[in-house]
Amino acid sequence: MIHLKNIDKYYDSKFQRTFVLKGINFEVNQGEFVSVMGPSGSGKSTMLNIIGLLDQPSAGELFIFDEPVFNLKEKRKIEYHRNFMGFIFQAYHLIEEMTVYENIETPLIYKGVKSKERKPMVANLLDHFNMVAKKDLFPQQLSGGQQQLVGVARAIVGKPKLLLADEPTGNLHSSQGEMIMDVLKGLNEEGMTIIQVTHNEKFAQYGKRIIRLEDGLIREDLPVQN
Amino acid sequence: MRNTFKLIIRSLVRKPMTTTINLLGLSVSLALVLILSAYSFSEFSTDKFHQNHENIFIIQPGKGWLYTPAILKPVIDNSLEGVEKLIRVRDKWKAPVYQFGQNNPLESDLIFADSDFFEVFDYKALEGDLKTALSEPMSLVISEKLARRLFGEKPALGKTVKLDDKHLLTVSAVFKDQALNSIFSFNSITNIETVKKVQPNPSDFTHWNYNNYQTFLQLNNHVNKTEIAKNIVKLFPESNRERLSQLKLVELSKIYFANRDQHISYLKFGNKQNVIYLALVAMLVLIVALVNFINITASHWHDKIKQTGVMKVIGAWRPTIIVQMLLETFLLFTFALFLGYCFVFLSSTYLARKTEIVFSPELFMSPGFLLISISLVTLLSILCGIVPALRIAYSATLINLKKKVTLKTQKSFGKGIMVSLQFVVTIVLILFTILVQKQVDYGNNNIGINQESIIGVPLTKQMVGKKDVLKESLLAKANVEEVVFTQYYPGKMNSGWSSTFQINGEEIRAVFRTFSADAGFFDIMGLELTEGRFYHDHLETDKYKVVVNHQFLKEFGITEPIGFVLPQYRRPDYEIVGVVKDFHFKSVNEPIAPLVIRNDDIQSSVALVRLKTENFKALKITYENIRGLTAELSPSFPVNVTFFDQAVEAMYQSEIKFRRAFTMFSICAIVISCMGILAMSLFATRQRIKEIGIRKVNGAKVYEILAMLNKDFIKWVVIAFVIACPIAYYAMNKWLENFAYKTTLSWWIFALAGVLALGIALLTVSFQSYKAAIRNPVEALRYE
Repeated sequence: MIHLKNIDKYYDSKFQRTFVLKGINFEVNQGEFVSVMGPSGSGKSTMLNIIGLLDQPSAGELFIFDEPVFNLKEKRKIEYHRNFMGFIFQAYHLIEEMTVYENIETPLIYKGVKSKERKPMVANLLDHFNMVAKKDLFPQQLSGGQQQLVGVARAIVGKPKLLLADEPTGNLHSSQGEMIMDVLKGLNEEGMTIIQVTHNEKFAQYGKRIIRLEDGLIREDLPVQN
Repeated sequence: MRNTFKLIIRSLVRKPMTTTINLLGLSVSLALVLILSAYSFSEFSTDKFHQNHENIFIIQPGKGWLYTPAILKPVIDNSLEGVEKLIRVRDKWKAPVYQFGQNNPLESDLIFADSDFFEVFDYKALEGDLKTALSEPMSLVISEKLARRLFGEKPALGKTVKLDDKHLLTVSAVFKDQALNSIFSFNSITNIETVKKVQPNPSDFTHWNYNNYQTFLQLNNHVNKTEIAKNIVKLFPESNRERLSQLKLVELSKIYFANRDQHISYLKFGNKQNVIYLALVAMLVLIVALVNFINITASHWHDKIKQTGVMKVIGAWRPTIIVQMLLETFLLFTFALFLGYCFVFLSSTYLARKTEIVFSPELFMSPGFLLISISLVTLLSILCGIVPALRIAYSATLINLKKKVTLKTQKSFGKGIMVSLQFVVTIVLILFTILVQKQVDYGNNNIGINQESIIGVPLTKQMVGKKDVLKESLLAKANVEEVVFTQYYPGKMNSGWSSTFQINGEEIRAVFRTFSADAGFFDIMGLELTEGRFYHDHLETDKYKVVVNHQFLKEFGITEPIGFVLPQYRRPDYEIVGVVKDFHFKSVNEPIAPLVIRNDDIQSSVALVRLKTENFKALKITYENIRGLTAELSPSFPVNVTFFDQAVEAMYQSEIKFRRAFTMFSICAIVISCMGILAMSLFATRQRIKEIGIRKVNGAKVYEILAMLNKDFIKWVVIAFVIACPIAYYAMNKWLENFAYKTTLSWWIFALAGVLALGIALLTVSFQSYKAAIRNPVEALRYE
């Protein structure tokens, strides 16, 4: 589904070129759950941003469903964001002026889903995550775990094929983290392709495959053994 | 769409402090702009409500001179093509006193005009028919206001009132009080023929040298007004033409601003410069508020950047984001406009009473005005919002998420410029406020005559014959020291006479102001003699001796004044016996004119009473005593007894009102910019919370942190001061040029303004800085 070919990402300063990613090659198939691990500064987030079309690689090619996605026009990029992928962030990045319900609903509005159809979709998710009672609260009124749950709900409400999670548990207690990871695992079992970046060895094990990055290079790419 | 509104309102409510500062500043400044535009509009559209206003002109025979002879009318009517109507108007020399039945007599005003006055000028009738109301002599048309004073709520039509306890006039119509923006201001008007009975003067209608009337012309559409003016000059007798080289016709709507030094009781004139100055201040207030707005929203959008990033990631389109941001600005502006309208309606009566700013509230409700104000607000909100909106919307999503978008105004340099700009405005306004006050004080302290403990008693018809009785009974009262009779009183017009004499073989026609006074006048007023002597009023030989002021000598080049003879037309000649130092017998803002003070008891119209005490209570009692006495002596004519210094102050009503309006506006501007600076310091400290924490952990003391935070603001004030001084210096000099006698621009004005600005800045900023500086560093560091 996603294919990275010889991806480089570097920054040029006056006398030297600093590589963040160097010669990254890998493929993600539909239904996979990939955990990307590595120390700080190893390029995990940059790689995730490149896959999420938020950042441009300096060299190399990226294919989504065998279609090259490089130098896309704004409009096409938005199409991908609206229909193909969802994002989860370490800092949740919920919109503070919106209630839980509105936060989850917003991607659907942007997607152009009609009001009548939006309601059941959001209601279903709220129900699924046991948050019906909290739908009119604002993000600040929720615990971290609950906020991230809203983040997950917002990411998947548009039924994307790919879920990108940048350290989704980084700001959470371990018990809350586990809850989020269970949710992600469940989603994966229902068929969602997930790529997550994490520091946490235990949470990395929730995936089916672990890629270890170091200094911008892939050191290890192994399936998880149960 | 509904969601967008909800979001905008939520985000505004989440930041009550900045929203309040923004809204308050914007709405106050918009209110000022609204008020001033309504005021300027009404000032600049004076008399445009008369249907024929474009064809109506006044004859102005010379610069600052509007008097023409009555005989001009028959001559023009007979021989000049193109003049459709000609209206002569004059006011009554002394204020009229009306009495209805046995009611109390009351003082008002009265003008005489040709019978077709109401065919040229548009007035609305409440009773009677204005078109025919003036056709008979001794018929009287009165204003709604006067009708109410005379007859209460009863109909006025057909009633007879007694004028000056002598003449009977019949009310033939009542007109609705005229629009505020008209040069005319009178409460009663009668046919011009009435003059012959009320103020008989055989020469008034027959002699070319009796210039007692204003002449209004209604021309037909096709004639050229300069042509007409030339032809009018030709109609004068040969000997008069020489003085009429400047004669021109002034359009009705232009009379208002063209004659600010004129004193004609039924015409009121405006001061264009004051209107412009006030409008300028209103613009400055708006600029200050807009700068606040830009600064505050820029800091506000700092928080918005992340949110925008999130919205882009979940699929928002750029135009959506831009529209939402602009909508937020627009909503705030619209709300501010609404609040501004509220302020206008709340303050309009106060403004009308305390300042000269008068406008009709209906103007605000007119569709044109509403449309203009809404489009203005739209334009302003787009101007203020478009740059940050575009920058945020078009920056890369990832950069949004990491909050790295820099807006121009967020760099400390750019912010510095904005804050400096505000301080420039503040400093200039502080300077001007001080200057205006200083000029007023200067005027009050340099009139050159005594003003304290003097009471003026105008002599009514019934009192003129009883002057001796009055003097005696006044002197018998406690606290009364001296009583003198004179023609002079502050705010009262002085007669203008002329005399022709030879100086160095050259014939000079001297035009001068003159009034009569008892010899005691010089002492009461404290006038200083520079040459010769004062005349004595008990000496028959001194009857035609006069005292002149210094300006008289200067203007006509008289070097040896004592014994100089001023020949008079059909009167004995006058001889100068003394010269006094110049004093302001008219407003201090006017140049001192040549003056002759005559020993001419018959002409006296005022009794000046000097009191012995300065005790307020005693003054009050004496004042009441004098009022009682005059009411006894003059039962049919009300006597308006006043304190001399209050009469002087009344001369400066318009200056006082202008100063009040100016000060009020300046204070608004200063307060708004203070609020802006407060908000700026709030953001500045918030952005540096981490830095402050680190510095404190490393051992910085509270005062060091305070100094660090305040340093920037002080720098900006100093820069602003350097920029503001030359601008203000230039503008202040320009303003002072309006005055014949002006105060000086001393250095301390600038120093004071600088210190005040710095003080204001430090006070507002330190409040925030101190709070930031005493914060626990651990808390500050955790905050990030």
